[in-house]
Amino acid sequence: MANSKITLNYFDIKGRAEIIRLVLTWAGKDFVDNRISREDWPALKPKSPFGQLPYVEIDGKVYGQSLAISNFFAREFNLYGKSNLDGLIIDQVAQLTEDFIQEIVKVIRAADPETKAANQKKVQEEAAPKFWGFYEKLLKESSGQYFVGDEVTLADLIAFDVVTGFVSDFTLPLPDSYPLLTALVETIGNNDNIKAYKAKQQ
Amino acid sequence: MASSKIIVNYFDLTGRAEIIRLVLVYAGKEFEDNRISRDKWPEIKPKSPFGQLPFVEIDGKVYGQSLALANFFAREFNLYGRSNLDSLKIDQVAQLNEDFFQEVVKVFTADPEKKAEVEKKLQEEAAPKFWGFYERLLKENNGRYFVDDEVTLADLIVYDAITGFIGSFTGPLPDRYPLLKALVEKIGSNQRIAAYKAKHQ
Repeated sequence: MANSKITLNYFDIKGRAEIIRLVLTWAGKDFVDNRISREDWPALKPKSPFGQLPYVEIDGKVYGQSLAISNFFAREFNLYGKSNLDGLIIDQVAQLTEDFIQEIVKVIRAADPETKAANQKKVQEEAAPKFWGFYEKLLKESSGQYFVGDEVTLADLIAFDVVTGFVSDFTLPLPDSYPLLTALVETIGNNDNIKAYKAKQQ
Repeated sequence: MASSKIIVNYFDLTGRAEIIRLVLVYAGKEFEDNRISRDKWPEIKPKSPFGQLPFVEIDGKVYGQSLALANFFAREFNLYGRSNLDSLKIDQVAQLNEDFFQEVVKVFTADPEKKAEVEKKLQEEAAPKFWGFYERLLKENNGRYFVDDEVTLADLIVYDAITGFIGSFTGPLPDRYPLLKALVEKIGSNQRIAAYKAKHQ
């Protein structure tokens, strides 16, 4: 993997690919961050494994599904804990986040403006506090400052992405009532690699 | 894990918990299959980690999210491949199946007037799409399993997609997916799986 050529293909937005970019950036692994315009996508679509973005090329082979890819790189770069139980904790966070994203999808895919507004309100008033609450609870239950004790794993990067990435476009800003989550987001954001990456995207 | 006490808590249906049950059954690991009636759920809810079913107790600690649990038990019982690349292939199938599942969710959350139309879309567009992905991934491997030459979580997930909750909305698998059909038959004729399924007609 150290010498592997990685190309990430996605639109020029955070969306579903950002978590992959964050894992690779945190790990200090070089990759081609191929940002595709909407007009160029139809021509590229046949190359994707499942007709969707993101997809990744690893040494010439293509793979899809953002969470599958994030898991793979997390494991490659020691961001997946040390035990199976660590893996379970990380997967809980990942799957909870998928549920959170489904609430966002209900806003994006709403058939009409009234449904869209209603679903948006539900995200802000119900879903966001619920999921932020789960993250806060899991951090509290941890033996350290991260989801898995004292080491940063994929779970922490996922929570950072939830609070700073596309999900946060649909929620209100994270309130002070989630101190552990707030501290986690700050810590991850202060990492040199992450800071440099974020500065480049401004 | 060999001597761990495991309790799977869910309603008395296949739904989201079936994959957890299938992994444990396939692995030959005993567990308490706690099937909860709808009226008992409210009093159990506070015990669940995230206010939902399924949740699983492992040696007294509770965990949620069916795929997280399926992954955990798959890893415990050597059903998660032999390399990180194997796991990537398994996770691809798992995540595709989550997308497939979301298509089914569209059916039972549809407004009554729209339900028939949404169900038609599932059966005529989404189901062939995902069946097609699974058939192709089987072909790209060796035609028998998704990873290497052995059953992994991916095979059990797809078996569940066709015989479980998703399958009850899509209708039967057509013959034009021969590798998929053969896989489902092979998993279904596993002694432990067959005995378990017979118990839950």
